[in-house]
Amino acid sequence: MIRLRARVRRTIRITAITIIGLILAFPLIYLVLGSVMTSAQLTSFPPQFIPTSFHLGNYSLAWDYMRGRSVLNSVIFTVATVGLQWALCISAGFALAKLRFRSSNKVTALLGVSLFVPIITTLVPTFIVTDKFHLVNTYPGLILPIVAQTGFGTLLFRQYITGLPTELVDAARVDGTSWLGILRRVIIPLATPATGAYVAISVLTAWNMYLWPLVVATTPNVQVMTETLAPLASSEYGSIPENVGFAATALTTLPMVVAFLLAQRAFVRGLAGSGVE
Amino acid sequence: MTVAIRAKARKRNAAGPGDGAGSSKAGASWASRDRLAAAGFLAPNLILYTIFIVIPIVLALALSFTSWNLVGAPQWIGLGNYREMIDDPAMPQAIETTMLFLLFGVIPTVILGLLLAMLVNVRFRFVGVVRTLYFVPAVVSFAASAILWQWIYRPGQGILDFLLAKVGINGPAWLSNTHTALISLDIISIWLSLPTAILLYLAALQRIPPQVIEAAMLDGAGAFSRLRNIIWPGVRNMTILVVIVTILAFTNSSFDLVNILTQGGPINVTTTLIYYIYYAAFNNVQLGYAAALSILQLALFAVILGLLAAARRFAR
Repeated sequence: MIRLRARVRRTIRITAITIIGLILAFPLIYLVLGSVMTSAQLTSFPPQFIPTSFHLGNYSLAWDYMRGRSVLNSVIFTVATVGLQWALCISAGFALAKLRFRSSNKVTALLGVSLFVPIITTLVPTFIVTDKFHLVNTYPGLILPIVAQTGFGTLLFRQYITGLPTELVDAARVDGTSWLGILRRVIIPLATPATGAYVAISVLTAWNMYLWPLVVATTPNVQVMTETLAPLASSEYGSIPENVGFAATALTTLPMVVAFLLAQRAFVRGLAGSGVE
Repeated sequence: MTVAIRAKARKRNAAGPGDGAGSSKAGASWASRDRLAAAGFLAPNLILYTIFIVIPIVLALALSFTSWNLVGAPQWIGLGNYREMIDDPAMPQAIETTMLFLLFGVIPTVILGLLLAMLVNVRFRFVGVVRTLYFVPAVVSFAASAILWQWIYRPGQGILDFLLAKVGINGPAWLSNTHTALISLDIISIWLSLPTAILLYLAALQRIPPQVIEAAMLDGAGAFSRLRNIIWPGVRNMTILVVIVTILAFTNSSFDLVNILTQGGPINVTTTLIYYIYYAAFNNVQLGYAAALSILQLALFAVILGLLAAARRFAR
């Protein structure tokens, strides 16, 4: 009798979990469904959820609206930012974790400061510095100030690499391996889980970034997707049909959804780690 | 120990005679080579960090004592901007809006995050797949979620008003009504922040052995008693982390969502401090005043995080 009640309770709980999950994910499911509807179906009232016909053409119209270029710019921005920042963070994190030098703690503290400074505080001055280098509306101007936000990544790698056995480093030293060789052949392979978490969270942040590009990339040749997408939310929505707007939104969102599904472990660790400062 | 000595010896041999000048103490030369390597690994990082983070922080402070509209050189006006700030009625309003936005956003996120984490903290066959539904909104950008939710909020036509109409409620014009605009932005931000909160709480809950909860149930402990005596002690420390992470997320959304959806309106009810700073800097081109406001934001941020850090120490 007790066992039966427990089973019923469990079934109810699992059903509730599934229904609430579907509610939470609903906006995304609706986005995908709406992106292949006709404009008439999407705007009909009462709202409809199941597409009566599939219009993948919405996506090519959306691509044209985003001018393709902004999609490409988002890819360039994300890859360059994460790649460069990763190299800076893992090498510095390694130095802070395994090399002995006097000012190690001071450097760690200096990098930690940035975690507590809101982006808006440095927005205008960073723009001024970028302008002084004549980098406004260029790729380096878009990319380098974000690459420079090395605080989180460096501390993450420092913490992870500190946990790796020092004997491995010593053994490599005995074999006469250079520090750069140790970084490349010992540390980087062993730090793969940390790299996974770091890359997941950093790719996500860069891909979704809005404020800095909005300020520093104002010409179409360097604008990223969040910038071309955002106007769809205001009055300019009239410029393209709603279903194409849905397709454009899906176009920017689905790559990250797919990445999340493929590398859920890394993302989960990255999201959880984003708080463990 | 022997290994280390042998290593030093070998290193000295390998270095050859040319390098031997300063290595009467082999340890010292090795240490200096370590320092050189450390400098090499750190330099590119710290140079960029200094140019684009440290200098801008110092510059923000310096600019806050000047008046500057990008034309000509900044003019030193001492505490002028801070005096102007005190007389500016928009400033306390922006702070109040920011605080309300945080309050109505962070508290529901933390409570819902804990409740949902407790709900999904169970093993069943497709638990991984189902949990994905809870986590996946975390990857959506503010820009995309703004567009998506604006569609859901559409007055009279959107899904929200459609559902409300079914239970006989006439939905307001969510984003353009002064009473609902801020809450509407909060709801979007809660949706985006919940996954991380659930994730963090789930990590804490999974450290509580299920046997402990089962034993409590057999002892006849009710749901509330279980929550108070078993769950809460297990997630108390995590709660502060969840609050900090959620505040950071809401601080970002208090610009992105506002700029995309409401531009501070209607009648300034969604003008958060960050949006006000952005507006002062890039619309009014009062860079000195914007810098002073951003120092205020930094101070507020420091106070909030300081209080949370103190709470964390207290909780232990």
